[in-house]
Amino acid sequence: MAFYEQHIHPKPTTFLSKYVFSYDHKVIGKQFLWYGIFFLLVGGLMALMIRWTLAYPGQAFPVIGHFLFPESGGAVPPDTYAMLFTMHGTIMIFYAITPILIGAFGNFCIPLMLGARDMAFPLLNMLSFHIAAISGLILLGSLFTPLGAAAGGWTSYPTLSTLIGSPGVGQTLWSLAIFTLGVSSTMGAVNYITTIICLRAPGMGYFDMPLTIWGLGLTAVLNAIFLPVLGAGVLLLIFDRVFGTTFFLAGAAATTGTGDPVLFQHVFWIFGHPEVYILILPAWGIVSDQLSFFARKPAFGAKATALAMTSITILSTLVYGHHMFTTQMSPLLTQTFMTLTMTISIPSAIFFANWLGTLWKGSIRFHSPMLFSMGVVFVFGLGGLTGLYLGTVTTDLYLHDTYFVVGHFHYTMAASVLLGGFAATYFWMPKMFGTIMNEFWAKVHFWITMMGLNGVFFGMMLVGYGGMHRRIYNPFIYEFTQKLIPINTFTTWSAIVMGLAQIIFVINFVHAVFFKKEKASDNPWEVGTLEWTIPSPAPHYNFKEIPVVKCGPHEFGNPNLNSNKDFQYQTEELA
Amino acid sequence: MSGTMVNQELRLDPAKAKLSSSIAMIMALISFSMLFATLMLGYFAFRFTSEVWPPLGMERITLGLPTMSTAIILISSLFYLGFESSFIQKEAKKSKLYFYSTLALGCLFMFAQTMLWSKLRSEGIFTGTSVFASMIYAFTWIHAAHVLGGIIALLFLLPTISGKRDHDKSLSLVQNVGQYWHFLGIVWLIMYFSLFVF
Repeated sequence: MAFYEQHIHPKPTTFLSKYVFSYDHKVIGKQFLWYGIFFLLVGGLMALMIRWTLAYPGQAFPVIGHFLFPESGGAVPPDTYAMLFTMHGTIMIFYAITPILIGAFGNFCIPLMLGARDMAFPLLNMLSFHIAAISGLILLGSLFTPLGAAAGGWTSYPTLSTLIGSPGVGQTLWSLAIFTLGVSSTMGAVNYITTIICLRAPGMGYFDMPLTIWGLGLTAVLNAIFLPVLGAGVLLLIFDRVFGTTFFLAGAAATTGTGDPVLFQHVFWIFGHPEVYILILPAWGIVSDQLSFFARKPAFGAKATALAMTSITILSTLVYGHHMFTTQMSPLLTQTFMTLTMTISIPSAIFFANWLGTLWKGSIRFHSPMLFSMGVVFVFGLGGLTGLYLGTVTTDLYLHDTYFVVGHFHYTMAASVLLGGFAATYFWMPKMFGTIMNEFWAKVHFWITMMGLNGVFFGMMLVGYGGMHRRIYNPFIYEFTQKLIPINTFTTWSAIVMGLAQIIFVINFVHAVFFKKEKASDNPWEVGTLEWTIPSPAPHYNFKEIPVVKCGPHEFGNPNLNSNKDFQYQTEELA
Repeated sequence: MSGTMVNQELRLDPAKAKLSSSIAMIMALISFSMLFATLMLGYFAFRFTSEVWPPLGMERITLGLPTMSTAIILISSLFYLGFESSFIQKEAKKSKLYFYSTLALGCLFMFAQTMLWSKLRSEGIFTGTSVFASMIYAFTWIHAAHVLGGIIALLFLLPTISGKRDHDKSLSLVQNVGQYWHFLGIVWLIMYFSLFVF
């Protein structure tokens, strides 16, 4: 419940105070959205270069290849290939998904859905974005350093990431950028948690919060606890590279020290596994809400869904070892980590069943956010189930480091989160920008994206199962992989189709933001959560009077409703 | 839409606003704790898998400067406690004395740290001498960077000390800076015993 009422700040008037140094959570959310979309395009272009190289090794990348790689006749050179997959992973995870799902929609939704006027600490919020911007600049700058950007994979395992494996300054800048982004995200997390605890509208208990807020809140908890773990790891990596410490150097790589490269893997994955849930929890929350909103039914087992997400959050901290089965871990440990990993299936099955329960016999409205939300249900189902093979020691030993892993984590972390991000963008567009995107083109965008991404990620799993390893510039030098060339070509063309489909989104988005005259109504989706009780776009003070919450966020089709609508605002009481 | 709160019921209450900054401080301290806990995890991993400790080619670090640093930071924490209680009781003179003593001891701690680093170098112990040497340098650097942050936070209290900021509104800031300062003392104590004593 709200601890206090925030003041209504005067409306910013200058360009700088309105768009650059804004304290307004909605503007900061939009800043993160543009930031994320920019990096999504950069990371996406890198993905296309990787895929082109795998389908047509040694052939010039179309259109811009000759400009980017003149020495190799337009084809991606081997060392650049390593930089591309490293930077693609880093950019997509830390600079595209995180800013869009957590930065943009966390900032935008938390105060609005809680009935607050802003975040608990608006200055901290603004600083959080500017530090993220500095981090992005450092990372982009690393692309233009003499020996190129980081090339040790997004996990940056030593000794690939030490001076032995990556002698250039690019890897150091990578580490610095990640550390800086960690500071930004931790600041955001502290703000989110405090806002959720202290600024919920009067009458709003934790279970009256929309599940979107549950997802964002749990993500913030994981961020606050585990980002510093990665921070410590990359800080020591920077020290190894810059100041000559020997934490991760061993054997011939170390002249005097007796460090341990595997220690970095432990530190990385203590953070890295919760990171999977850091990325997916907001999408789960958004989907859990939107399935109910568009099925015009209360969310089935909403409390159980919230508690299942909480259980997964806790369990996610105990399973990191399944990423390291091949590091000669003791069998006792591998079996422990395997068993703990399998237990995640239980809460996952609960909320997945709840999603299906919500859809069951609903009066489904197939608006674009709903299509994307249902897309998440499908792709996360596939991603989750294929995770079982990687969490099991026996199958993981075969599949480790193959494209099966790449396909699996793209289904869970890329496809689910990307579709969740699109669902959120289409859904909150009226409240963010005051307009609604063209529904026809949104649906075209959905279907092409859906076909494209399934072609890409299922293709990856197939070639991985066939034994094709990841991170190899030209895997087809091995005879047994030559039979996989056609599937790789299919995967690449699926990626190209998926990439081209995003042009539809960009045009639709830019048109709706800058050129569309027709304004959206206050509540175009007919939903009862608090942000839909105020005008579109949301005014700078959000709520003139702080609302009092009288029911949950998913009240649909209640027979006691005394109006002719089928939903109930959270501020309304039943007759 | 019905159901809006009458403003008077939710007016900005300093006590409740203070609570929200305390919650934020607790979360921030959890984050800082995880950073140092990860460093200590690395230390214990090396320590318990090493056949000899300190590793071959290194002697134990003499306890003089680390012990002095420990005394300084602990006394500074005690002074801060004195500052906090005299600030709450609005004893301006006393609170100023305690505050400036804390600030001076914070700076003295930083000086002791630089002495420790130069002493290590003069003894031929460099960052790459062994993983133990790496730890001593890296951990003390990271801790010192946080102490520097603490000193900057103390400087933010200067308008409060000089009476330019409202007493009641500053109370949560004083308490939060205090929590951070004590936290740094606790972290140093753990580092002192694990890196230098045992």
